[in-house]
Amino acid sequence: MGPYDSSIFVGSSSGSSSSSFTGKPPDQIDGLLAGAGYKVRSSELRQVAQCLERLETVMVNAPTEISQLVNDAVHYNPSDLASWVDSLLSELNQPAPVTVPGGSSDYSNLSFVDSLEGLTINQTAITDDWTEHHGAQQQQDVSQQLTVVTAMEEDSGIRLVHVLLTCAESVQRGEFSLAGSLIEEMQGLLTRVNTGCGIGKVAGCFIDALSRRLYTPQGVGSIGSSYDNEILYHHFYEACPNLKFAHFTANQAILEAFDGHDCVHVIDFNLMHGLQWPALIQALALRPGGPPMLRLTGIGLPSPDGRDSLREIGLRLAELASSVNVRFAFRGVAASRLEDVKPWMLQVSPKEVVAINSIMQLHRLLGSDPTRESTIETFLRWIRNLNPKIMTVIEQEANHNQPEFIDRFTEALYYYSTMFDSLEACSTLQEKALAEIYIQREICNVVCCEGLARVERHEPLAKWRARLGGAGFQPLHLGSNAFKQASMLLTLFSAEGYCVEEKEGCLTLGWHSRPLIAASAWQAVAEPSIPIGQRLLVAVNFQTSFKPTPLAFRF
Amino acid sequence: MAGRNEVNLNESRMVVPLNTWVLISNFKLAYNLLRRPDGTFNRHLAEFLDRKVSANANPVDGVFSFDVIIDSGTGLLCRVYRRADAEDSHLSIVELDKPVSAGTVPVIIFFHGGSFAHSSANSAIYDTLCRRLVGICEAVVVSVNYRRAPENRYPCAYDDGFSALTWVNSRPWLQSADSKVHIYLVGDSAGGNIVHNVALRAVESRIEVLGDILLNPVFGGQTRTESERRLDGKYFVTLQDRDWYWRAFLPEGEDRDHPACNPFGPKGKSLEGIKFPKSLVVVAGLDLIQDWQLAYVDGLRRAGQEVKLLYLEQATIGFYLLPNTNHFYTVMDEISNFVRS
Repeated sequence: MGPYDSSIFVGSSSGSSSSSFTGKPPDQIDGLLAGAGYKVRSSELRQVAQCLERLETVMVNAPTEISQLVNDAVHYNPSDLASWVDSLLSELNQPAPVTVPGGSSDYSNLSFVDSLEGLTINQTAITDDWTEHHGAQQQQDVSQQLTVVTAMEEDSGIRLVHVLLTCAESVQRGEFSLAGSLIEEMQGLLTRVNTGCGIGKVAGCFIDALSRRLYTPQGVGSIGSSYDNEILYHHFYEACPNLKFAHFTANQAILEAFDGHDCVHVIDFNLMHGLQWPALIQALALRPGGPPMLRLTGIGLPSPDGRDSLREIGLRLAELASSVNVRFAFRGVAASRLEDVKPWMLQVSPKEVVAINSIMQLHRLLGSDPTRESTIETFLRWIRNLNPKIMTVIEQEANHNQPEFIDRFTEALYYYSTMFDSLEACSTLQEKALAEIYIQREICNVVCCEGLARVERHEPLAKWRARLGGAGFQPLHLGSNAFKQASMLLTLFSAEGYCVEEKEGCLTLGWHSRPLIAASAWQAVAEPSIPIGQRLLVAVNFQTSFKPTPLAFRF
Repeated sequence: MAGRNEVNLNESRMVVPLNTWVLISNFKLAYNLLRRPDGTFNRHLAEFLDRKVSANANPVDGVFSFDVIIDSGTGLLCRVYRRADAEDSHLSIVELDKPVSAGTVPVIIFFHGGSFAHSSANSAIYDTLCRRLVGICEAVVVSVNYRRAPENRYPCAYDDGFSALTWVNSRPWLQSADSKVHIYLVGDSAGGNIVHNVALRAVESRIEVLGDILLNPVFGGQTRTESERRLDGKYFVTLQDRDWYWRAFLPEGEDRDHPACNPFGPKGKSLEGIKFPKSLVVVAGLDLIQDWQLAYVDGLRRAGQEVKLLYLEQATIGFYLLPNTNHFYTVMDEISNFVRS
């Protein structure tokens, strides 16, 4: 009768925790701890408790230095209590791990900002804008716009949202003349609210999108040229921390994955201006033991004017790499759609270690021709067959791919309200205006387009987990060092109100606790389709000249 | 020394269910990693380790939540929890601040615990607790994401609490049928301390608070009480930890007889003749600071204030976080009665 038997407890236990009278605890997650954010199997509780006790004894008896050591360790996935306490225990039994470059010193990452000079359109813009913005923040009126919720003091604002949702419903039901008259009504209401910010601005975008859907659906696909889009992307990058967070977090994970390898290859699904890569090149240059040979394959749209813009970016990155003594090679792959890219175009060599970098790209593969095999599944399969050491996936944390139009519309209204709110707080006027146009194009795609034209098919992290898990990937957890750096990035670059959260090894950037984008990392698992019997056979064969080890029977 | 520690661990294991023990020990361990001897706090690691949940405008078990910025100057955020009506098939944004239904609806302003340094309104343990309170009290719950120590010392948390109070009091959609907002202040641990101090301000500003509920509130003083000496280190908490948090919260140079820590101590003031809200104070019998909590109750009584003490002999800190003991249900019943009476 051990100390944990339920008969000794004061007050009876209810809930799934009690190792009950049937004798065998159920092998399921403890429901009460799950409500507290922890995933612990009932069968593991005792073991976790013992680890906690051992840690307690060590911490109490050990000098402060050991606390410091544990303090500086990298923590992963705190929800998995069992593995967290295990890792702390092993931390105490082993010497401190070597930290990755940039991971130990708090401010070494600032050098990455400088490296952007020469590679961006406005050379001097970067550091200047930061101090300008900082100054502006201080002078700025404290009359920040309230969230959509609190801005509803205004009757017209409330009415607008009401009519918007009604209009979307009528669009879904095919009642187009009703929808049309509702749009007129809303345009009238717009004159009575402040469309410069808050609910007025968001509503304005959605009304515009709805009227495009009704009146000019065929024209929607061609909003803006790809060149325009690149400019807008760049301003969006400047205006808020979203893309910086994405790059930063992905680079940290890639850096760690490349540790110890001399021949590395990064495949970027959307090169744009290559804004992400100077920082990684710098970090690799600084790593102890010296930099690897780095290959970068950048995928992007073909340039309309015949320029080879991908190659130009590659050249500038090569200049940077050369200036910091990193052996570097670049290859551009022009493709109109991501699904047109084929593995042979990437020329992956078996000697090199591959990192795949996907920033807001995978969701574009979710629309597919129902008569053919799912695009995303095909794509993920050949990606997995490249056997990448890591795949970084950053996606909007939103559910904009639901089958029913009204559900997508409502979700988008909520999500983009948050997005506009955050832009409000954050940037210089010109950048903000262009960043807003960038967002408006996204909104238009979500609201107006259907079929293959609708590429902004955002899905939440939970869905990506399932999808990637089913495609033969397993999560690589992002740890407390990535978290800390992301948090510090936020304090440097942006307004109060942004937050980073960790959940099951993934990091999410949010605005006032509402999630905006989620970053995760993945690696390919071994080919899962070998039946268990065969695997056992393989292990036993290998062991024929030795006594069979318990390992052989673990399969 | 090792022998004494073994005894400690055995004792706390004896009095709580296994999953509660794991939960609270986990917090104890994590918090040890975060407090630095020089008084600074590893905020990044704290935010990384804290398990958080998003607000959810879709009802879960009949309760939905949303976040509101109530003071853009300080970025003060509150999470509002409400019951979803049966008619709400799918919730649109508009209905989040629909006026409360007819009759009398209590509005609980909740201050989470964490010794002024830990946790947030969106911490999983507190999100879960607030959702429970909605159901148990048939109330709207407003959980305040007040600024924390050591980055923000006294009186920031109280200022934020008071901002939340004035905000709640001025929401038309939170008014009951009598056009008044029926406000109760509820808090655990440091939140309990905040409840008392916000109530004081309410009285000064003539904002009516109908009742205070303090769950294991943190109070203290310079002297060491009998319960502190007897229970130091025995049930998850040491005096050393407690001292660290007071040093982190109180203004530099102040000691634990500061009235924020010791409201009825040598620097405190009497509440005699003051129209202070009625109080429900829950004290856990295995909490080392219970003597200070009992002194608080005593101080209220001597000032002629209405106060009910609920003393749970075998309860430890944090017992109200998981619904797996009799203490939990006893306390929830008391809270429900208190708010409805």
